Amino acid sequence: MTDCERTRDQLLDAVRGRLAEPQNAHFTAHLQTCSQCRDLFERERALEHALELRPRFALPAALRDSLTASTTGAKDGKSVQRRRIGRWATLVLPGLAAALLAMLLVRGPAGARPSLIDEAINDHLRVLYAQHPIEIESGGIHQVKPWFAGKLDFAPVLQFSGDEEFPLEGGAIALFVDRKAATFIFKHRLHVASLFVFRSQDLSFPARTDQAIGERSATSAAARGYNVLLWQDHDLGYALVSDMDGKSLARLAGKLTER
Amino acid sequence: MHWYAEGMRREAPRSEPPFAEQLLAQADALYNFARYLCRDPGEAEDLVQDAFTRALNAHSSFVVGTNLRAWLFRILRNTFLDAKRRQRKLPLTGREDCELESSGDTDWLRGDIEIDRLRGFVARDIEAALNRLSDDARSVVLLDLEGFTETEIASVMDTAVGTVKSRLARARAALRETLKEYAK
Repeated sequence: MTDCERTRDQLLDAVRGRLAEPQNAHFTAHLQTCSQCRDLFERERALEHALELRPRFALPAALRDSLTASTTGAKDGKSVQRRRIGRWATLVLPGLAAALLAMLLVRGPAGARPSLIDEAINDHLRVLYAQHPIEIESGGIHQVKPWFAGKLDFAPVLQFSGDEEFPLEGGAIALFVDRKAATFIFKHRLHVASLFVFRSQDLSFPARTDQAIGERSATSAAARGYNVLLWQDHDLGYALVSDMDGKSLARLAGKLTER
Repeated sequence: MHWYAEGMRREAPRSEPPFAEQLLAQADALYNFARYLCRDPGEAEDLVQDAFTRALNAHSSFVVGTNLRAWLFRILRNTFLDAKRRQRKLPLTGREDCELESSGDTDWLRGDIEIDRLRGFVARDIEAALNRLSDDARSVVLLDLEGFTETEIASVMDTAVGTVKSRLARARAALRETLKEYAK
C-alpha cells in the first residue's frame, strides 16, 4: 500500500480525530508533502462540517406517548391505523397555524432573521462548497479591491494584502443576509478563512463584544466547529469565519483591522 | 430470525435498565433515521411504531450483552425494507449500488441563486442531498453519522464490512458532488 493509499484510507478517521499515534503523525507529515491528499482531506473535512448541519427530526410527542404505552402494555397505545386516521384529522389545523406563523415571520422584526453568526458560517460553507469560490485570483489587495468596483454599492475598507502566514487567495461577491458582500478568502496552512464585508445598516449585531481587535471591539463565537468574529467599522460590518483555532483567527483579524 | 451478529457483541454491563426503558431511550435516534429513510413524517411514524412492535415481540430472541442499539436499527431497517417490498417499490434482492437517485426535478438547483433561497440554504440542502442518495447509500451515511462502527453498520445492513467501507466512500463522494452542484 502506497503512502497515498494509506492516507486516503485514513481520511475519515483523521477528520474525526480518531487516528492514534504514530499513524496521526505519519498522516500529518504526508499531507504536508502531498497536495492531492491534502485537497481530499480538506474536502472530507468540509463535508463532515456540512453533514453536521443536517436537520435532526424530533420524535413527535404523540408518537412518544404511543411508544411508551406500547412498551408498558397500556391499552391506549395507538395502532398504526388509528394514527393514520388521526393524521388526516390534524392536517388542516397545523397547516393554518404554519401559514399564520410564516406571515408573522415575513412581517416580523429583524430579530426573526437568522443570527449573523449562523449567516456567516452558512456563507463560509458556501465558499467551501462553491466549485469556483474565487472570482478574482489574488495578485494582492490592490488587484482584488478594484475588482469590486461596480459590483457593490460600497467600497470595502481593507488594507491587509495577505502575508506568508495568511496569504490572500482572492475575492468574490457573496450575499450576506439580504445584501451583497465583498468576500476575501485567506488561507492559513490547511485552513480557509472567509472575510465578508457588508453594509451593516439595519442588521442586528450582538450587543455583547468580548474581544479587542485592534481599535475595534468584536464578538467572538464558536459554532458547528467554526470560529467567528464579528465587528463593525463605521457603516460596514465584518464577519470572519474559519475552522482555524481562535487565537490564529484573532491574529488574522488584528492584521485585517490594521490601518 | 436470529438477531445476534458478531458486530453487535459488546460487554454486558452489570445491571441493565429494563428492556422497555432501553427501547424508549433509542426512540429519538430511530425516528430521525426513519425520517431520512422514508422521507415522509407520517410514514416515519408508522415505521417506528411497527419496528417497536417487532422489537417487543422479538424480545426473547435478543441476546443480552449484545448491542441493543444496533439490534433496534436493524429491525427498523428490515421493517422499512419489508414495507417497500410490499409496495413493490423495491426488488426482493437488496440494492448494491450507491448511485444517486435521479430526481428528475433539479432545475431549481441550477437557476440563479436568489436571496430568499440562500436563507437557510445549508441545512435544507444537506437534507436534499441526503435524500437524493439511494436507500442503501443514505442508510450507510446516516448510520455512520450516528456513530456506528463499520462492523456494526455491516450487522445492521446484513452485509460485509468491506461493502460498508466502499458504500460509505462512494456515498460521501456522491454527496460532495451534489453539494457542489447546489453551491453553483
